[in-house]
Amino acid sequence: MSNLPERLPPKWMDWLLDLFCCEEEIEILRGDLYELFEERLETSGPLVAKTLFLAGVVDFFRPFAIKKLPNTKTTIMLGNYFKVTKRNLSKQKLYSSLNITGLAVGLVCFMLTFLYIQDELSYDQFHIKSDRIYRVLERFESEGVGEHSASLPFPTGPSLAADYQSHIEGMVRLFNFQSPTLTLANKEQDKAFNESRIFFADSSFLDVFDFKLLSGNRQHALDKPNSILITPTMAAKYFGNGDPIGKQLEFQAGQLLEVTGVLEDAPTNVHFQYDFIISFSSLKQWYNGSLPASWYWNPCWTYIVLKENASTNDLIKQFPAFVAKYFPEFIQSDVTLELQPLHDIHLHSKLDYEIQANSDIKSIYIFGAIAIFILFIATVNFINLSTARATKRAKEVGVRKSLGSNKSQLVTQFIFESILMTFLAVSLAFVAVAFLLPAFNQLVNKEIDLSQLLLPSHIIYGLVLSISIGLLSGFYPAFVLSSFQAVAVLKGDRLKVKGLNFRKILVIAQFAISMFLIAGTIVAIDQFRLLQDQEVGFDQEHVLMIPVIRSPMGDYYDTFRNKLLQSTRVKSITGVEEIIGAKHQVENYRFEGMERSKPFPRFHVLHDFTKTMNIELAAGRDYSRDYNTEDSLAYVINESMVKAMGWNSAEEAIGKRFYHRDELKGEIVGVVKDYNFVSKHHPIGPLVLDLTTNPRAFNLFMKYLAVRVDGENIPESIEVVENTWNSTIPDRPFDFFFLEDRLNQSYAAEQKLSKITVILSVLAISVACLGLFGLATFNIERRTKEIGLRKVLGIKTSQIMSLLSKEFSVLLLVAFLIGIPLSYLFLEQWLNGFAYRVELSPWPFMLAGALTFLIAMSTVFYHAFKASYINPVDTLKSE
Amino acid sequence: MKSTQLGEFEELVLLVIGTLNDEAYSLSIKNTLKEHTGRNPSIGALHSALNRLTKKGFLDSYEGGATKSRGGRRKRFYTLTAFGRKALDQSFELRSGLYHALPKLGLSHE
Repeated sequence: MSNLPERLPPKWMDWLLDLFCCEEEIEILRGDLYELFEERLETSGPLVAKTLFLAGVVDFFRPFAIKKLPNTKTTIMLGNYFKVTKRNLSKQKLYSSLNITGLAVGLVCFMLTFLYIQDELSYDQFHIKSDRIYRVLERFESEGVGEHSASLPFPTGPSLAADYQSHIEGMVRLFNFQSPTLTLANKEQDKAFNESRIFFADSSFLDVFDFKLLSGNRQHALDKPNSILITPTMAAKYFGNGDPIGKQLEFQAGQLLEVTGVLEDAPTNVHFQYDFIISFSSLKQWYNGSLPASWYWNPCWTYIVLKENASTNDLIKQFPAFVAKYFPEFIQSDVTLELQPLHDIHLHSKLDYEIQANSDIKSIYIFGAIAIFILFIATVNFINLSTARATKRAKEVGVRKSLGSNKSQLVTQFIFESILMTFLAVSLAFVAVAFLLPAFNQLVNKEIDLSQLLLPSHIIYGLVLSISIGLLSGFYPAFVLSSFQAVAVLKGDRLKVKGLNFRKILVIAQFAISMFLIAGTIVAIDQFRLLQDQEVGFDQEHVLMIPVIRSPMGDYYDTFRNKLLQSTRVKSITGVEEIIGAKHQVENYRFEGMERSKPFPRFHVLHDFTKTMNIELAAGRDYSRDYNTEDSLAYVINESMVKAMGWNSAEEAIGKRFYHRDELKGEIVGVVKDYNFVSKHHPIGPLVLDLTTNPRAFNLFMKYLAVRVDGENIPESIEVVENTWNSTIPDRPFDFFFLEDRLNQSYAAEQKLSKITVILSVLAISVACLGLFGLATFNIERRTKEIGLRKVLGIKTSQIMSLLSKEFSVLLLVAFLIGIPLSYLFLEQWLNGFAYRVELSPWPFMLAGALTFLIAMSTVFYHAFKASYINPVDTLKSE
Repeated sequence: MKSTQLGEFEELVLLVIGTLNDEAYSLSIKNTLKEHTGRNPSIGALHSALNRLTKKGFLDSYEGGATKSRGGRRKRFYTLTAFGRKALDQSFELRSGLYHALPKLGLSHE
């Protein structure tokens, strides 16, 4: 049998066996495991074999097989420490379980966040050349208005590669008609679907990106026109179980594509999720036999691979010359090309025309910080409880010291103890994470695999974490405990426990953080509500969006419209270029008084746009069918545009002229009130609404029909639209979504953030309370005699309460005074990143303070109340 | 003698080793057990039992030569000792004696 690495179990599992297994048994046991492993490899595959191998190793952790420890002084002492720890844990069950669960909860948060962050950071990292791959960007702006585009004109990629061969090793373009969906059909089986994850890609696609080609020829799979790569999932959807290679798919009811390869399903950590890759040359059929040559229209996402030693700066320096050489003269001065590292796309990129919405590095920082906070709170609990319990161990320390134990031995003992306890907590946390992972994945929309957690590196991190937290939290208690004077303790003197101040500081820090998290959560939720619910200037409810780009709808629009409007369920219909309130395009316009044309946001619409979307007019009129000829040379603009042009009022703007093909013959006919034509992450800018009634526009400028339906009976309304669609263009699958749902997705990141911060801060405060609970129990236990005496002398229950809670109230007050200003500053900073933000009012902070105070005090009161019911006889009789 | 008392699992293991003759090593014992009883003990549990039985003197073991399929590692073969055999006999006698004392039921031979 061959000794290929994959035929052997992982080395670290072998090493694990070495770690504990004794000499006499190891060869036999390992032989058994290897034999079973090979057998299972044949029958059940590598994953099962490896898992069972590990299970076998763990199973051998039995008395007969474990190394016998040599009988040295150290091992005997360690054995003794172990025994003492065990006894202590079982003797003080409440403390021990509070201590360990508190820490475990903190660790669970920490581990889950760790997995999340690791997944986020892994985006696009697995390509071998990933550190040399860059996306080329186009900044097309004049005085801050325009676009910062992730995509480029068609010829840019090849021209760059040809002009800078000394720098550029490879190039690939991706293109999808900027269309939300495209149609594919398997004619033989009469299966047709609207697909949203189709890309056209240059034949170099598989040279630049290292996706696995499961079958087909890697070098030549995309060479020929009309070739398509398909994922296994999609192969099953269209062709069932058979081999898809060589089978045909019909694209957009007009182009037959042959499957030339099966490409692995898109890994989740890739910034563009694909289902199909079509050869770039197939596009020529749609553009009269050649690729579009325009340097103005910029729909291609373009990636270049730099040569190993090429410098990005060198290349960037050449870009101005490149722009001057190729780009049309009227936009040259507004265009800058930029390079964006592939690694930066997922977390740092928020450009116009992203392939899909990316994440934000900011939320990673926030999650990371919260996770560390929680771990800190949990560690502090651990320290506090251990030191507070110190007096209980004083006798033991005294005895050990008088029997000759020196300080360093005592320190070792207590640190050993705390490492052991953290180790328990870490193990508990691992188990909990394993159980929680599916729910967590659902919460954050990820597919983190359980096997991630069991990676050897993670297990080693776990061990390192236990040891370092153990050391960190054990150091201080060990120091306090070992400093007791043997004579004093054994004589039974009252102990002055050191470290009271240090402990107080820790409690203050804990509660300051808790308050900060509560206030932060409230503000985050508030901000999220504002983004989602605040008026956008148009009515997003009950609007069906129907993707129609590159469909025959252009020719049938009037028929479709007339049929629809006969139903009482349909209020109004229009056509739009992009999703209203989410996206727009940019075009050059020159209004009267301007020296040259400038790029402005543009939105192509059909008639009845303002009526369908309930957008108010500030002056003039909307496009109208009554002025058909006139409107071909007319624009409707928004109020910000009026301001940007320096016109004094909306009324003044009506009748202003603009250049059409260098002649001043167009006229502004209407001004709409400002509405949020992109998400509220951005302020409202100038906008031109441009009427485009030419049926051919449906190939490029009309991506959706927007239908306002009756809100009373939505299912029936949808049915009306669907039936009308099917009777108008029966060979196209009907597809739609609600505008409101799609717009809410724009704030998915904020929604996720507020969901997670809620959960994390609830956990944080409960961990902090666990600690307080332990501390309060202990404090009151210490004072039972005092309370007994006071009761004999006639103290009231309420007085006992105030006596006992005084100390904690002071701590909470200090925490409030420190935590609130800091959280105010931080939140102010965070909110400044938003175009639309809530103003910070005092109430979230007051609430955070009050809530923390309430929860903390109820914990303390519970104990105080219990203490006040103690019968003084019980506490005073024993001396 | 208290030490001759066998647990059910231990007794099965001894029986299997007896029947396997010269071929009794951990995995063959495991497979035979699985075949005859349907139980599939983990090898950890099995080794633990084998160890116990050897300590009690029911089993003897010797190590075979290097093998190919186990990454070159040797097997440990087990044989029944006379004491082990006696323990099995005793247990069988005990059971069959008690079994024969069962009252016969009318329907038992159909």
